[in-house]
Amino acid sequence: MILETGRVVASETVADLGTLIVVSAPLVAARAHPGQFVHVRPGERFDPLLRRPYSFNGIDRHAGEIELLVKPLGPGGEWIAQRHPGDPLDLLGPLGTSFVVHRATTHLLLVAGGTGIAPMKVLAEQESARRNVTLVMGGRTIHHLWPAHRLPAAVEYVTTTEDGSFGVRGRVTDALPQYIAWADQLCACGPWPMLAAIGRLRHDAARATTVVPGKEVLLDAQIAVEQHMGCAMGVCRACVIVTQHGNARVCREGPVFSLGDVRFAQGEPATVGLTA
Amino acid sequence: MPWRRPRKHVDRARDIGRSEEEALEEKAEHAEEDEAVELAAIDGASIVEAATGEAEDERMPSDLAAKLGAAAEGHEFRAWGEEAEDREVADREVADREVADREVAGRDRVVGTARPEDTSPSEAVVAHVEDGVDLEVEVARGLRLRNPVLTASGTFGQGVEYAELIDVSRLGAMVNKGTTVHARPGNPQYRIAETPSGILNSIGLENPGAAAVAKKYGKEWPGLRLPVIVNVAGYTVADYVGVVLEMEGTPGVVAYELNVSCPNVKGGTLFGCDPELAAEVTRAVKAETDKPVIVKLTPSAPDVVAVARACEEAGADGLTAINTVPGMRIDVAKRRPVLGTGTGGLSGPAIRPIAVHITYQVARAVSIPIIGAGGVTCAKDALEFLMAGASAVQVGSATFADPLAPIKTVEGLAEYVRASGLASIRDIVGAAQRGGKRDAGTEYVQ
Ligand SMILES: Cc1cc2nc3c(=O)[nH]c(=O)nc-3n(C[C@H](O)[C@H](O)[C@H](O)COP(=O)(O)OP(=O)(O)OC[C@H]3O[C@@H](n4cnc5c(N)ncnc54)[C@H](O)[C@@H]3O)c2cc1C
Ligand SMILES: Cc1cc2nc3c(=O)[nH]c(=O)nc-3n(C[C@H](O)[C@H](O)[C@H](O)COP(=O)(O)O)c2cc1C
Ligand code: FES
Repeated sequence: MILETGRVVASETVADLGTLIVVSAPLVAARAHPGQFVHVRPGERFDPLLRRPYSFNGIDRHAGEIELLVKPLGPGGEWIAQRHPGDPLDLLGPLGTSFVVHRATTHLLLVAGGTGIAPMKVLAEQESARRNVTLVMGGRTIHHLWPAHRLPAAVEYVTTTEDGSFGVRGRVTDALPQYIAWADQLCACGPWPMLAAIGRLRHDAARATTVVPGKEVLLDAQIAVEQHMGCAMGVCRACVIVTQHGNARVCREGPVFSLGDVRFAQGEPATVGLTA
Repeated sequence: MPWRRPRKHVDRARDIGRSEEEALEEKAEHAEEDEAVELAAIDGASIVEAATGEAEDERMPSDLAAKLGAAAEGHEFRAWGEEAEDREVADREVADREVADREVAGRDRVVGTARPEDTSPSEAVVAHVEDGVDLEVEVARGLRLRNPVLTASGTFGQGVEYAELIDVSRLGAMVNKGTTVHARPGNPQYRIAETPSGILNSIGLENPGAAAVAKKYGKEWPGLRLPVIVNVAGYTVADYVGVVLEMEGTPGVVAYELNVSCPNVKGGTLFGCDPELAAEVTRAVKAETDKPVIVKLTPSAPDVVAVARACEEAGADGLTAINTVPGMRIDVAKRRPVLGTGTGGLSGPAIRPIAVHITYQVARAVSIPIIGAGGVTCAKDALEFLMAGASAVQVGSATFADPLAPIKTVEGLAEYVRASGLASIRDIVGAAQRGGKRDAGTEYVQ
């Protein structure tokens, strides 16, 4: 990982998903992998104080550029989303773990919710030339979906919307079973409730006494999770989640985890048992 | 049915482990090699990466248990993406060297903090702004440091993490994460929340316990070339003593800092809120170690000056002022506190005036050295503490925003000493005490 002052090359709004910013940052780009993130300083002073974590939404090593999809929720996200071409951007990264596509995988299933599209889009771009890739994305409305024309043509793209404004009403997880049966490998990124729903599919498959199509795919699935962060350097332990092997830092041991390692509680990350 | 855009047919190479481009490029390999070398030199990618546009290696599947085990052993894992699946070890070593070289190059160019040992032999001595400037200070009785900039407990881990990014040997010392006798899993989420110019945290002293810390980091600390002060926490007097006994003899450790912002199991008062309790802990620890013992004051104390005096009388060699200030944020949408524990500790520039004020008051009351802490982001902030009477400062939350903040503070102090024609940074300690009215710091009118 490295500290690099990148330079914004382009910026545009992608419907209600967020602002897409392309940043020239050759040192970060040279090391970046899908699923990893950069910790971005939202200003030049100490208010807002904390950096903000964003996944790579695009990695172009040749051009030395990375792409971030920034949904402005508060002051930090807003400041970053408002950067114009030519503006500097203070980046710390790449940080954390990345998705690992197995060599033997021929049918790769990607599942995205909201800005969780970011690492899935990078995987789609990197893998579709050599494997069959299907991306399933769910959003609240059509405006919360990644535009189809911004994906490689070789990628099969399946979408659901919660309000039925595009395709049929429903959630990604409603559309999943048939694709899971087709796939050899599953990678997912999205809000906690979506990941927890996939976790339930895994749980049910693991315990089923009958043959479940795609069971192996669920057992082996990888997910990228979010947690509020301080340092993103592994020192403050603000970002821990509970796993089968104990507390794990999302900024170091994550953000990509094996689905089976992560503990959920009511659609959220399970919480540490002890209070001070 | 959901909406579905079918896959456009693509003819794939039969070897699915390889992309079309890779197959094509293999043919043109030699023709492109020279260009690739150039490209790699330009953008820092390896030759293979430059030629294929792909990561050089296939990546390892996750093994969280192994990673957590390694983290517990004190070895920080690199991203899985950087672990090769089945490449020859020799290849990997070459590649690692390449990455290391690139990182150094990057550090020079982007961060401007090359480490002496990373540079090529011909330019082994790297000049730093602080070279030749007398920044040496005594931060506690019996503890002299090369400069007055330390990193604060809980914001610098065990030192090894930020050492991946900055040259930690340019700092005065580090204070490690609060260490308890037994391992602690910490508090429920959320553990951190942003506030105006500050952060609230409620980590809950998550740490692997003193024995594990001593075993794991004792091996790594000497290599950092950065003196380590162990932050000691506990819930009984025996807890504090237990940690110190466990840490005694650990390589790299030069002193102890007692985190007395912990509730005493008997009665629940914070040790640092009661002069008697604080003195009792200080005395008990002093009896067990010859190393300097620093007590970290809490702003929650009804009379922090009384606590400081009691600690000095009990034998404390120094004081740190201050730990975090209690605070809370409410999530208005959810109608409940943001932090999992409700209350948290406020840090960052938001608390700097409180910390400077306490430093000023305590400096008038004691004769042992004081380390100022609370919202230091740069040399100017550090100077406020020094002029108030501190001999050194700790940089904490600012490091999260700017990992270079501690080093920039060292540089800025050196520049200040030079520019103001001082013989040493020590000449500025307490300057505001001399300049102020006699009763400044105790009285104010609104
Ligand atoms: C590994 C990782 C990858 C991410 N990738 C993306 C991405 O590609 N695109 C995107 O739009 N968002 C992403 N997020 C979420 C993003 O970090 C938050 O939306 C952002 O920090 C919110 O900052 P704000 O100033 O807009 O909002 P505020 O609400 O003002 O933030 C206040 C504080 O809460 C933290 N916070 C709030 N929501 C989140 C959250 N969901 N996750 C982590 N911290 C949060 C902020 O970092 C900040 O410290 C990612 C988060 C993580 C952990
Ligand atoms: C995330 C976090 C964790 C902390 N953990 C500890 C701790 O374990 N022990 C301790 O004495 N102080 C701890 N502190 C307090 C700091 O060491 C320091 O006193 C305080 O943050 C004020 O300095 P700052 O404003 O520069 O951060 C912690 C602070 C933060 C932000
Ligand atoms: S954010 Fe500090 S340890 Fe992960």
